Amino acid sequence: MGTFTMENPGDQPVWVNTDNCKACDICVSVCPSGVLAMRYEVKSTLGAMISVEHPEACIGCQECELSCPDFAIYVADRKELKEAGVSFAKLTDDAKARQEAIKANNYYSLEQGAR
Amino acid sequence: MATREVISTGNELAAIAAVDAGCKFFGGYPLTPSSEVMHVVSDLLPAIGGVAIQMEDEIAGICAVIGAAMVGQRALTATSGPGMSLKAEQLGLAQMAEVPLVCVNVMRGGPSTGLPTRVSQGDILQSKNPSHGDYKSITLCAGSLAECYTEVVRAFNIADRFMQPVIVLLDETIGHMHGKADIPTLEEVQAGIVPRKKFDGAPEDYFPYECEHDEPAVLNPMYEGYRYHFTGLHHDKNGYPTEEIETCRKLIQRLDDKVALHEDEVESYEEFMMDDAEVMIIAYGSVSLAAKESIRHLRADGIKAGLFRPITIWPSPATKIKEYTDKIKNVIVVELNIGQFHSEVQRAAARLDIEGLFKVNGRPLSPHEIVSKVKEVF
Amino acid sequence: MAFNYEKYLRLEKMPTLWCWGCGDGVILKAFVRAIDKMGINQDDICVVSGIGCSGRFSSYVDFNTVHTTHGRTIAYATGIKLARPEKMVVCVAGDGDALAIGGNHTIHGCRRNIDMTMIIINNFIYGLTNSQTSPTTPQGMWTVSQKAGNIDPTFDTCNLAIAAGASFVARETMLEPKKLEKILIKAMQHKGFSMMEVLSNCHINLGRKNKMVSAMENLEWIDSISISKKKYDTMTEEEQLNLLPLGVLKQDLEVREYCDMYKEIQKVHQGERKKITQDDFVKKI
Repeated sequence: MGTFTMENPGDQPVWVNTDNCKACDICVSVCPSGVLAMRYEVKSTLGAMISVEHPEACIGCQECELSCPDFAIYVADRKELKEAGVSFAKLTDDAKARQEAIKANNYYSLEQGAR
Repeated sequence: MATREVISTGNELAAIAAVDAGCKFFGGYPLTPSSEVMHVVSDLLPAIGGVAIQMEDEIAGICAVIGAAMVGQRALTATSGPGMSLKAEQLGLAQMAEVPLVCVNVMRGGPSTGLPTRVSQGDILQSKNPSHGDYKSITLCAGSLAECYTEVVRAFNIADRFMQPVIVLLDETIGHMHGKADIPTLEEVQAGIVPRKKFDGAPEDYFPYECEHDEPAVLNPMYEGYRYHFTGLHHDKNGYPTEEIETCRKLIQRLDDKVALHEDEVESYEEFMMDDAEVMIIAYGSVSLAAKESIRHLRADGIKAGLFRPITIWPSPATKIKEYTDKIKNVIVVELNIGQFHSEVQRAAARLDIEGLFKVNGRPLSPHEIVSKVKEVF
Repeated sequence: MAFNYEKYLRLEKMPTLWCWGCGDGVILKAFVRAIDKMGINQDDICVVSGIGCSGRFSSYVDFNTVHTTHGRTIAYATGIKLARPEKMVVCVAGDGDALAIGGNHTIHGCRRNIDMTMIIINNFIYGLTNSQTSPTTPQGMWTVSQKAGNIDPTFDTCNLAIAAGASFVARETMLEPKKLEKILIKAMQHKGFSMMEVLSNCHINLGRKNKMVSAMENLEWIDSISISKKKYDTMTEEEQLNLLPLGVLKQDLEVREYCDMYKEIQKVHQGERKKITQDDFVKKI
């Protein structure tokens, strides 16, 4: 029960709770901006775990949070983030291209090589 | 006790009793010979702001009743043998989730479609375990027109006391019998209503299924600030599903103990001329009326017969039965089935020589038949 | 964050028992957000669910909740609703629960037009009991009870509900949670029986032997068999054959709601109005 936290670890645009993540790939697939990817994790059930690879590219669309079945990923409230002096990014072509590459890599981080 | 005289049928009295006892919801389906109960409540309940609904089948009938009982209302259904078979699974859920309700079963010829318009007492064993699993059924049997009223009233109080379904057996003869009955006044009945227990404290301190090992759950009405979960799965103190070993064991044991350790609160029987009886006749329902008449004939012929009539069928009055069967050699069970209560009497008496008069052709037993049988075997 | 679910969840029950990537979690969240947007008090709503993975829905949310027997969700909910008609009742059941064993209760719930919302989470299979054929499993797919291939024809849930008389019928998928949330609000705000079919994924039980092993593959399949009603209506019959239209498919505001009609019965028996006759109804048959 104590694993069920929703607290922002510190002015992040998007953050994850790896205790809840079941590595289903859905959030990675719906992100338009290549922010998220899976990484190998031997201790997790499916051998993978969600990782916020490029938080600076997060546009705050909330698709990941809305599509996660397991309360494992959260997007900051736009106003609260602004008050902390951080703002969401705008969607760039580079980010879109990175997202396509991640999808083509079976949702795994490009740094992990082809899956 | 203040009484009033009415002229009515058994089914109608059962319906009136429910409404007088505070029932606010009826869900059911037409099934001979119980339909009249539904017909009567469908007029009485809306008149007092209650609801009577004919659902699409027997199963939906009892489901709606359990739903209304979960909300907190006293709720009734009425059916016969085939309907009881259909309702079995839901009765099990009501037992498991500890939801009080009253189910009137007007017994007819069975099994299956059987004899829809004719009498039998063939649902005795079914009432003991209508549904799968372990629990203790509470079943009452009306043995006169007046009892069609008083037993239904008692059933509602017992249901709320033990938080489970209570079956009230009528047989077709008594359900359709039309005559005079002396029943308690409305004021008497209302003064005797004992509603289910409620928790008064703060919602965060409320655990509906956390109670003593021999106590029923305390289920507050829905929508009043106490939120919890009803389920047919094994559950913890909040009602949430669990498979934890000790929780599961304690739950099932409690479902049994809450009745088994308080049988004195539901026990009810009649002893008719048993003081000096040398022949003990055991009968219930409409057969007991014929039995009483037969005892007058037998006594006139010098045979000291007496009637022991269980009113609460389950849990059975085993202790009392054994008290008699230990000292009376000639015991006969007279029923309109092939020995369903007879087997319980033999078990209670720890004897295998209990006689039986069993009739299963859909016709009532006459006093003459009982007199002949007693003279034949004893 | 977009939304704080804590208030509406039974945190001690978390995490859910649903498989990785199961649409049930997405639907749960959309439902909670919808309830919050509607401003409904947690004490004023009862969530009734059936047996199956979607049946576990009711144990996770902090409302008045009831977990019934297989197929009987609507029957229990009818009793709950009639006992306190002013309160809100929402049913959640799977395709097997609502359309197989519960088929009768579903059509009668629609017929009665009693004010409640029935969310059928259709994952095209019996999930919890491991891959048996359901009334919506496509013909030809592998199921554990028909390993030679499923020959059973399928129901169209929404057509069934429309034919049975439901006054609000809608279909969505869990692919677009924001859309789902909006349509759930519409369904729950509608006064009358609202049939809300939500297409969901069960890659574990439907997908694994039917070429959809991962959640994403199953979601892509759902995407391929569903299309907005607007586009659907412009298509030929041939094109429509393998597509399910999404959106509000029917909303009839003229049909009278059952609890309201029952209030009239109560008035008759309390002497406040004369008996109801055929003249009170436009539909005479």
